[in-house]
Amino acid sequence: MPLDVIMPALGMAQETGQIVAWHKQPGDPVSKGDVLFEVETDKATMEVEAAGDGFLTDVVAGEGDDVPVGDVIAKISDSAESAAPSPKAEEPAPSDDLPDGKAVIMPTLGMAQDSGLLVAWHKEPGDAVSADDVLFEVETDKSVNEVNAGFDGYLGATLAEAGEDVPTGQTIAIITAEKPANPVARKSAGVAAPQAKVEEAKPEPVAKPAPAKQAPTPATNGRVLASPKLRRLALEQGLDLQRLVDAGHSQPFHVKDLDALRALPQTSSDTGTATAQASGRLTAKIACEGFTDFAAWAATTAKLTDMSALLAGLCAASHGSDTTVAVESFGATTIYAASAQLSATQPTEDAAKLRVRDLRFTAISGVAVGAEDVPTLTLTRNGAGLTITLEFAPAQLAATDAITLLSNFAGRMEQPLRHLL
Amino acid sequence: MREITLSQAVNEALAEEMRRDDTVFIIGEDVAEAGTPFKVLSGLVEEFGTRRVVDTPIAEPGFMGIAVGAAMTGARPVVDLMFGDFIFLIMDQLCNQAAKTHYMSGGKLSVPLVLRTNMGATRRSAAQHSQSLHALVAHIPGLKVAMPSSAYEAKGLMKTAIRDNNPVVIFEDKLMYQDKAPVPEEEFLIPFGEANIKREGSDITLIGTSSMVQVCEKAAEILAAEGISAEVIDPRTIVPLDEKTLLESARKTSRVIVVDEGHQSFGVTSEIASRINEKAFYHLDAPVLRMGAMDVPIPFSPALEDITVPTPEGVAEKARMLCGGEMINAA
Amino acid sequence: MAKTKTNSEDYLRMYRQMVRIRSFEDNANQLYLSAKMPGLTHMYSGEEAVAVGICEALKTTDKITSTHRGHGHCVAKGAEFKEMFCELLGKEEGYCRGKGGSMHIADQSNGNLGANAIVGGSMGIATGSAFTAKMLGKDDVTVCFFGDGATAQGLMYEVMNMAALWNLPVIYACENNGYSEYTKTEEIAAGSITARAEAFGIEAHQVDGQDVLAVNKLATDLVARARKGEGPFFVELMTYRYHGHHVGDINREYYRTKDEEKDWKENRDPIIRFRAHLVSEGLATEDELDALNAEIAKDAEDAVKYALDAKYPDVSEVDMHVFSDIKHALA
Repeated sequence: MPLDVIMPALGMAQETGQIVAWHKQPGDPVSKGDVLFEVETDKATMEVEAAGDGFLTDVVAGEGDDVPVGDVIAKISDSAESAAPSPKAEEPAPSDDLPDGKAVIMPTLGMAQDSGLLVAWHKEPGDAVSADDVLFEVETDKSVNEVNAGFDGYLGATLAEAGEDVPTGQTIAIITAEKPANPVARKSAGVAAPQAKVEEAKPEPVAKPAPAKQAPTPATNGRVLASPKLRRLALEQGLDLQRLVDAGHSQPFHVKDLDALRALPQTSSDTGTATAQASGRLTAKIACEGFTDFAAWAATTAKLTDMSALLAGLCAASHGSDTTVAVESFGATTIYAASAQLSATQPTEDAAKLRVRDLRFTAISGVAVGAEDVPTLTLTRNGAGLTITLEFAPAQLAATDAITLLSNFAGRMEQPLRHLL
Repeated sequence: MREITLSQAVNEALAEEMRRDDTVFIIGEDVAEAGTPFKVLSGLVEEFGTRRVVDTPIAEPGFMGIAVGAAMTGARPVVDLMFGDFIFLIMDQLCNQAAKTHYMSGGKLSVPLVLRTNMGATRRSAAQHSQSLHALVAHIPGLKVAMPSSAYEAKGLMKTAIRDNNPVVIFEDKLMYQDKAPVPEEEFLIPFGEANIKREGSDITLIGTSSMVQVCEKAAEILAAEGISAEVIDPRTIVPLDEKTLLESARKTSRVIVVDEGHQSFGVTSEIASRINEKAFYHLDAPVLRMGAMDVPIPFSPALEDITVPTPEGVAEKARMLCGGEMINAA
Repeated sequence: MAKTKTNSEDYLRMYRQMVRIRSFEDNANQLYLSAKMPGLTHMYSGEEAVAVGICEALKTTDKITSTHRGHGHCVAKGAEFKEMFCELLGKEEGYCRGKGGSMHIADQSNGNLGANAIVGGSMGIATGSAFTAKMLGKDDVTVCFFGDGATAQGLMYEVMNMAALWNLPVIYACENNGYSEYTKTEEIAAGSITARAEAFGIEAHQVDGQDVLAVNKLATDLVARARKGEGPFFVELMTYRYHGHHVGDINREYYRTKDEEKDWKENRDPIIRFRAHLVSEGLATEDELDALNAEIAKDAEDAVKYALDAKYPDVSEVDMHVFSDIKHALA
């Protein structure tokens, strides 16, 4: 039995070795321990010794060649002649009743897929097939895929039936060159992977995988499943994602669904009389409010005794420009032409563009009444602090503006003096 | 431009800095005549002598402690830790001493020290010589962490590290020592905290560290053939982290996969994914995915070891799912 | 009391330094007991002759590393009361801007590389400091202070091995106060302490740590020899701590008797013994020494008062000094 001469792994991060010189020529007798060749690794040159006695034969790498470590580069044989083709471990005799041909295996299509469900054969045993024909359908964890035959010929044998879950890599069909006399059709169970003289080949899934099977939409408790980015865009554009659900589009929704949403007919929920469902709602909590003290200070120091006017002014300042603000407090409503300059905030007859609903002195701890005619800031008590809720219709206020308004207003309610600075 | 191996790049960086600054020295096991098992340091002792290329006994906590003290008193040690796995042996010196000295002294003492070590599985070295433990180090305030992804980065980051007045840990992927890349002959430095956009894309961002940059680039090639445009970003240092570049890309593509060879749980992938989630949430069209090494000790058998680390095909598969709008991890 | 050639100025300075340490600790103890000091602290009282005897043999540029019981080393190496008390109270003017506290005082201007809250944690640093001196050709000597408890740490053996191999100018000063936290030393240390160093071929000495002149004489000799390249050396100083392991360690009868404490305080106190020597040798009168004590007591009292009124660091400092080159790490 000839000995293999192998490119050794000598360095620590070495993938190949370069043969610097052969010290023996093909046909030379060699003894165990003789230097056979020199190899250069990342840093060092090493002499490699013969591992046994015999004759150097079958040299396949010459001086200067880079050879991957582990590769056989020569043999030490019993005679100076080339070693006989190495007898492989005995191949099991082909099963008598299986035709010779190319094996079609259950393909690995997913990342962590152990098996595939054979959904259907598209050809019958004995049929002629060409490489591009769809041979079968397989369902993996992700999708149903049509798989091509991969070879021209005849379907000589099917080794699994539709409905069987077959381990990936297992041969499920044999494609023969000649039309088979006795095509075979078997179940997979109990059939050992055939060891016939077959060329293993992995069939490629067809170029465009069949559309992914519709994943069942998980229970959503009435919540619409959508990506954060789509939600933001829908909010900014005043679009209601519920309409995609109503129109039967499958969830979750992504930005790519935006066009479909835009194409849907407008409904009342998008704009106009806003409903709670389509309204935006933001909540801010501040642990300790500074407004009460500020109002007292303003009353005594600056003679600004109208607390509602102060709220209106702070609201306008948070909004970023002069505007009209309706303030509801103790059941009464006053509309102010409000300005960041608090002393300039005065009652007006004009329609309000914003509302502040002051529920600090009620038992109500939070609100979710939905969007109204104008964006509404509601103040409720929360220990020593406040909960401030901003409700608005998407058409009234863009999300980013809403966030700015509420953040600014919450900051002013926490530290009103900041407003003066 | 000439091409050199990552190993040569590190060697050049060290030689140049040792010529420039006489206080720079190398300390570690078999760093002198042996030049380390990976032969990265070969030739340095011949030029700089055993005064500055110092072989130690096999005593990692000891020589790490000595390096910390040397750094505090005017020298600039480059500690060679033969395998990244040995970080566990030097934890007190690295994390309790080196990392905290500047802070605990109110800025009076500094520890200008470089710890060179390595990472990376698939060398068939099993669980105690295959770990990628950079997240462990990055968790400790006061330590900078660089992760070169090619010979170019290895040289530029090493030179910057040696000139930095803080402890810097450099993780070299031990499978990349023989990988060649273009490296300029003239001197250059790579600043810390500046990510490198390796490839621009518009559909998905692949953030990779160290050897995973190559994995991401290969995945991007696969995806490009399918019409998916992937952007590939190499943060180069994870402390400091160039959050700005990562967030800009996330906002642009709306989809992100973070790929790193450390264990997936509580690791670099988790940290980067969290920051993107916190700071680019309203721009995301899909969950940010993490792909790290499996949460198992690295196994010896090639059949097992190879499946523990992310592959280009695996990254491409996940990217395909995200770009196709598939439901990910929905309960 | 060892007889040496008297030098009244040096002797009075040693006395003064010992009294300063005792005075500092008495005040620190009061600050703790009156709940004015955050955290806890470890009192050096009783061990003054060790720190003073050794530090008086050192130059300002010589280095020391200290321990969790480190106030004595800090004072002996030249630190000021005001900055020390500020540090103990977490104030901005503290040696470490309030970031280190009692267990991490560092005073690099006087060569104090810092106290260390990890038992044995500074042995590498001290050895590294000596390494720097040798590598850069400086004649600095480094003294590594540690307790008997630290002799159980493996790091000590790793660095003593290297210090001996490389003839480093370091002196390992083991303050054997008889207790490793709440356990008798004989229960944690097998065999001889000095034999540990001798195993590495390091010259080792044992000395009465309550006799400042004996300590100073030995230290002066060893420092001079270390400076000439004859190091390293090891010294075991037999001493005693008057307080518990830390200030709150009040009920300690389970590990040592009150009689034992009384005996050390009354019969072996380093300050009482040295004072008697100074008077009997005619170097100072009782009145002069009383005046000196009073002056120091007032210094300490003033420093405490100053520190109590001093301001805390601004909260913006919390992320400063994490890295030397990044002003605010979290900005």
